[in-house]
Amino acid sequence: MTVEANERAGVESAVAGSTPARVLAARTRGLRKTYGRTVAVDRVDLDLPEGAVLGMLGPNGSGKTTTIRMLLGLTQPTAGEVELLGHALPGGAGHALPHVGALVEGPGFHPFLSGRENLRRVGAAEPLLATGSIRKAVDDALERVGLAAAAGRNYRGYSLGMKQRLGLAAALLVPRRLIVLDEPTNGLDPSGTREVRQVIADLHAAGATVLVSSHLLAEVEATCTHVAVLHQGTVVAQGELAELLQAGSPALQVSTEDISTALNALRAAKVSARAEGDGLRVELTGTTAPEVLRTLVQAGVAVQEARRHRAGLEELFARLTESEPAAIDAEEPR
Amino acid sequence: MNNRKVTLAVTAAGVVAGVVGLGIVANPAGAGPAPTLPSVSAESLVQSVLTAKPAAFAGSVEVTNNLGLPALPGIPLTADGVNKARVWSDGQGRARLSLPSAQSEQVFVEDGKTVWSYDSAKKTATKSTKDAAKDGAGKTPLDQHGDRAANPVTAAADLITELRKTSNIAVDGTATVAGRPAYELVLSPKPDERTLLREVRVAVDSELRIPLRAEVLTNGTNEPAVQVAFADLTVGSQDASLFTFTPPAGTKVEDKNLTAKDRKTAEEAKDQVSPQVVGDGWDTTLVGRVPAGLLSGNATAPNGSTKHNGQNPAALLKQFGMPVSGAWGSGIKISTKVGTGLLTDDGRFAVGAVPEQVLYEAIGQVK
Amino acid sequence: MTATLAEASAPTEGRAPRAPLTRLLRSELRWVLRRPRTLIGLGLLGLAPVVIGIGISLATGSGRNGPDALFGLLKGNGLLLPLLTLFLSMPLLLPLVGAMSAADALAGESANGTLRGLLLAPVSRVRLLGVKAFGVATVTLIAVAIIAVVGAIAGPLLLGGTSMLTLSGTTLTVLPSLGRVLLAVLWVTVQIWAVGAIALAISACTEHPLIAMASTLAGLIVCTVLESISSLGWLQPYLLPDSWGSIVDLVRDPLDMSSLTTGTWRAVCYIVVGLSLATARMATKDA
Repeated sequence: MTVEANERAGVESAVAGSTPARVLAARTRGLRKTYGRTVAVDRVDLDLPEGAVLGMLGPNGSGKTTTIRMLLGLTQPTAGEVELLGHALPGGAGHALPHVGALVEGPGFHPFLSGRENLRRVGAAEPLLATGSIRKAVDDALERVGLAAAAGRNYRGYSLGMKQRLGLAAALLVPRRLIVLDEPTNGLDPSGTREVRQVIADLHAAGATVLVSSHLLAEVEATCTHVAVLHQGTVVAQGELAELLQAGSPALQVSTEDISTALNALRAAKVSARAEGDGLRVELTGTTAPEVLRTLVQAGVAVQEARRHRAGLEELFARLTESEPAAIDAEEPR
Repeated sequence: MNNRKVTLAVTAAGVVAGVVGLGIVANPAGAGPAPTLPSVSAESLVQSVLTAKPAAFAGSVEVTNNLGLPALPGIPLTADGVNKARVWSDGQGRARLSLPSAQSEQVFVEDGKTVWSYDSAKKTATKSTKDAAKDGAGKTPLDQHGDRAANPVTAAADLITELRKTSNIAVDGTATVAGRPAYELVLSPKPDERTLLREVRVAVDSELRIPLRAEVLTNGTNEPAVQVAFADLTVGSQDASLFTFTPPAGTKVEDKNLTAKDRKTAEEAKDQVSPQVVGDGWDTTLVGRVPAGLLSGNATAPNGSTKHNGQNPAALLKQFGMPVSGAWGSGIKISTKVGTGLLTDDGRFAVGAVPEQVLYEAIGQVK
Repeated sequence: MTATLAEASAPTEGRAPRAPLTRLLRSELRWVLRRPRTLIGLGLLGLAPVVIGIGISLATGSGRNGPDALFGLLKGNGLLLPLLTLFLSMPLLLPLVGAMSAADALAGESANGTLRGLLLAPVSRVRLLGVKAFGVATVTLIAVAIIAVVGAIAGPLLLGGTSMLTLSGTTLTVLPSLGRVLLAVLWVTVQIWAVGAIALAISACTEHPLIAMASTLAGLIVCTVLESISSLGWLQPYLLPDSWGSIVDLVRDPLDMSSLTTGTWRAVCYIVVGLSLATARMATKDA
């Protein structure tokens, strides 16, 4: 599925219609934001290709939300530029934002109004909604996130998941070119999470660009075509998901009970390896799998199983966010 | 970015405009440049004032008090500040004066025959026919309130006649008062006068020849100690209904025609006080003896210049007076910017727009 | 959808699409008037003239003197009730309503996260402030009008008489009396707008509606205290409540507008300053 998506999200797959193809739905250059002496975000150069589903990853406090807020013009950057749907912010915000739906920092609604009333209030402010079509747009959006039945209830009484859905509905009130979702599955049960995934997939299929920030790696891996990893306020890696995963250095997972013998043999052969679980992890830099196996067998190690290690997003993420950022920069694709 | 800068520039301008506006509201602009008027001699100006026909007008008068007395309970007028009066005149002897206070109002209406006074706080109206009023006090209703200075018409006229003998009188430029061009008539004491006052300035309307403003200036300051001035003045015939008064329902109406007996009592009180004038011109002092019961009891001084409103006058005097003593005895001295008052422990008093030494000399003449 | 996308390709120089202003204002009003505390506040204000009216109609004894002089006039002069209630509500109750609605307008929306939503729609920041100021202004006007209307109905019913005895001792008939009430409504509204404008400026600076409300009222109370210190006479004409007592001038005959006019200009200055500061803060703040 991921591979398919990657192919779809190529440069050519710009939004259909009369608009000239734009390579990037959003772009930041040298973005920096400081609060007093605290540097929240620094040197962020983010590229969001049009039609992509970009997963923004990063540990808590890595600057995901700050970056998103600057991307949407909510926060004024200390330095740097933001271009949203081809319009430079903040001047072009009026042109770009009508086409952007966003759920940032959790859903924000009035507790004493019903879900429907809340959405109508949001709808009234939407430039692209004709006054006569607000009601229908609201009902459609509620239907889409599965809140139709609870639409008349006061927001105060909503569960966390329902609140999240309502926030999603507000982002989807108008057909958008770009949807920005900050932790969209927060508080959602597994079926809710699945629904959000489906919504993202639908948006993607319709040609919209989606930016999802999340700390749930599985979610990103399942839904995204592109990934940007933030760590300590900077982008440490970004690009197509598949590319990033392949860029991870190859390794061989060897199961054996004879760990110390194996390690010694490999060390003698100048192959880097370390004990991991009930076996070894052997880096395939400067060597090949058959070479490693031959070395082990010759040393009399009883190899029970050997398989190619497939780098997962989780591992990639751990590697990027736990090691020195300087080392990562070198590995960054492109 | 550019947009934001424009917004900030506009809002900065807005803040500045608002603050400047607030300053203008708080300190209303002065009268502006002095108007150019044909020159006039002091004598003919005074003459024209004394002979000027009363005009029909509506206006408000502000009495600015800067005497330096502390605020006293019950006598708010003594404290520094501005008091306002509204006056209407039809130019034919009918007049209306209203003294608004925070939540009440005192109204005086003279309809030609009857003088009404109404106090909204007490819900009382007092009625007196004009003849009786004349007999009783010999004053117009505007003066009956006791604050003759509140009406610049009478205030300035009195001052000019009174002070001409001992004063230098000159026309000193022009001014704009209540939006009307006026001559500034200045009266200053002749050098040998011993007084606290530097000069008295009266702004006379160039057209109507009525005083628009009277200021009393003292030595050493340019701020008038007392100023009575029209804040606004509209000349023209006034609605006749202003000069009639019907007591509203629920009002207690008192008839206050002074009977012969009343008059006799007043005369007696006057004799008892036996006020006596010492000196003349600017160093005139008024001396006399206070009736025995007055200082401790609840009474009103016959000259009507102070109202004690139930306070013990002696205690009140001690509050803002200063004990003094000398060859003449001992007592309490009260100093203001425009005058000094002295009340001895044995009940003699002396007041005048003079330094205290003049009072000490004068008080010796009281028996 | 296709049309939408075509529109999106408009260059930045063109006019950005905007939601119609009337729709925004209507939506703001709907929100403001559904807010429970606005409704409770307005309801309580509506009770004020009734409570005062009943209190006075039950009070025996003749009118008292002194500062209560206005109360003394009330019996049999029902149309004085709205004026008196406005006079009594001015120092605290009405500013409370103004400050509350201004605090909810920006700080409250910020706290709920809804301000973000409006800015993302997008509603431009200056426009949003305009919409918010309109909401505050409307609530204020409604609050003042409720007192006046309830007072004008309850007054004649409870106290009798459809005329107005002025402090000057004259009696106004129904229509001029209602005229005075209308003038009072307009004048008081402008004064409370000034409070609201300052509250909006504070509201734009915080995410806590309580802070915005409390600091506005605290400032007002400080002003009232300063007003009572006679040695600060030079400062007092700069303070907003300086002319609030002159609402009594509406019960004088002939009407003396001078102090009321000064008060109006003062309030206008405060409104200009307040809205300017609020706009500046809105334009630069991170939402």
